Amino acid sequence: MEMRAEERRQLPVQPVEPARKEGDGDGPGKPDVKRPDTSDLLRRMRRVDPDAARRYRQRSGE
Amino acid sequence: MDRLLGIETEYGIVAEGLNASDWVSESMALIRGVPGPQVSGWNYHGEDPRRDMRGFTVKHLSTNPDDAKFDLPGSKPMSREEERNDRVLANGARFYNDHGHPEYSTPECRMLRDLVAHDKAGERIVWEAAKKRSEQTSRAVTIYKNNTDFHGASYGTHECYLTLRDVLPEMLIAMLLPFFASRCIFAGAGKSGVENISGSEANLFQMSQRADYMAIEASVDTLHNRPLVNTRDEPHATPSRYRRLHVICGDANMSEYATALKTGTTAVVLAMLEKGAEPLLRLRDPVRAARLFSRDITLKQSAERENGTPVTALEIQRIYLDQAHRYLSEETDEDIRWTLAEWENILNVLARDPMEAADRLDWVAKYQLLNEFGIEEKLAWNDPHMQSLDLAYHNIDPEAGLYHALLQAGEMRTLVTEARVQSAITCPPADTRAFLRGLFVERFAASIRAIGWNGVLFRHNEEDLLFDMNPLVEDNVRLLNEEFQVARSLAQVVDLLQPGSEIKRRSGGEENGNAC
Repeated sequence: MEMRAEERRQLPVQPVEPARKEGDGDGPGKPDVKRPDTSDLLRRMRRVDPDAARRYRQRSGE
Repeated sequence: MDRLLGIETEYGIVAEGLNASDWVSESMALIRGVPGPQVSGWNYHGEDPRRDMRGFTVKHLSTNPDDAKFDLPGSKPMSREEERNDRVLANGARFYNDHGHPEYSTPECRMLRDLVAHDKAGERIVWEAAKKRSEQTSRAVTIYKNNTDFHGASYGTHECYLTLRDVLPEMLIAMLLPFFASRCIFAGAGKSGVENISGSEANLFQMSQRADYMAIEASVDTLHNRPLVNTRDEPHATPSRYRRLHVICGDANMSEYATALKTGTTAVVLAMLEKGAEPLLRLRDPVRAARLFSRDITLKQSAERENGTPVTALEIQRIYLDQAHRYLSEETDEDIRWTLAEWENILNVLARDPMEAADRLDWVAKYQLLNEFGIEEKLAWNDPHMQSLDLAYHNIDPEAGLYHALLQAGEMRTLVTEARVQSAITCPPADTRAFLRGLFVERFAASIRAIGWNGVLFRHNEEDLLFDMNPLVEDNVRLLNEEFQVARSLAQVVDLLQPGSEIKRRSGGEENGNAC
């Protein structure tokens, strides 16, 4: 009692709609931000601990 | 794409007040806290990372001798299953501890945008688990999606591509070496400084996080003496028909565009190989070339071809692109068309002025961000402060990460909608076997005895049944997915698969094939 999936490949396959409807277009798109605000970016950069990398130690991974 | 694709990301972890000796236990605890339906119990049967696609098996994999210093003396050794602490999620993904790193493996995807959405969903899932761990312990847990600790340790972001076994390993390696050595010009995540070098020599910004760690051209190793082309032979599909190309030389991309272009171009190179393409150039020293290219952001640096003539990374990529146009001009696959168009577009942009790609490529975005700061603060590229900002670019906390700040400011282009990312957190791709895995996790978790990429072992009517998903790697798995979707009971699932199906009875602990 064994049938491999290759046999299923003989069945007609109807195209189906993707499960998720997407709004993305072909090319890369910018997010819908009307007025770019870079002040938060600068605030975040100032908040970064300058010694974070000095202390950062990780196990060697793959 | 007419092939399965996946990305495995090992995340960097920091828990306030703890150190690297604690990362294994912290990663395990974080993974235990992952929300949503899940199944533990990965089945490692049939997996052997020592097997080389060139037809031999190595005795041992290399390990990093420096890493042993983080092992806690007297700690009780754990079995692989205990330490990995595997979870399989309802979206078909695998989440586990890999040597002190929470690792998220996306489900198998077929479309580039699905892959991007699932890669982003992985960031959200890991971040939710980290927040939960922070709440449990009152210690801040920070997670970085990057590949270096700036002290000599690296951890990977691996790509997986199903490919046909009839492409010879020697041809695969020869074709991929120049391509991998040069693709950092669009796939690099950017890095401040150089690993294990100090002083003025290291005062530079390079394109790749991983180039410093690549030591040889090809091997099965991943932890030490890392190769540009990993030759591990674990297809997770019918072995007589397929290989799985396991790419370990790539960077962790925050940019959706870079993720899509990195995987799209690599899949295109594989598509050419399957159509009989042969390498048009060979480099005298591809590993050295990868480092040279990475360390020159003007893109003027050349490396030597085998015949001694110079060639730049841009020129190499153009050779591959032109070859792809010749081999794939008739292709109608939407992802291949997108990849060829964007590959050409980005090479033109990089040739004109790399800084124009700051809204798409991680290394350019990071360079612009840090360069201005470094000039203002008079900091060298290898200054720990600059490397802290580099690290912060990869912080997956949307309220702290610098990539996220760029995104929120409208400075980075995206490829998928927020709704698609949200969907990917709980839903597997509809057109791959991950859908079946996810459905089992969502609906029949209590019956699962073991689960893996290529099968599910489950208990039904006092029998152990093995659902072999090895052959289910092609597009018409959609039909089976549709049939499964309406099944509300395990009995219905079993009925769907009988008479004669991918299901096999397993009795008395008998091992059946290499599925699951």
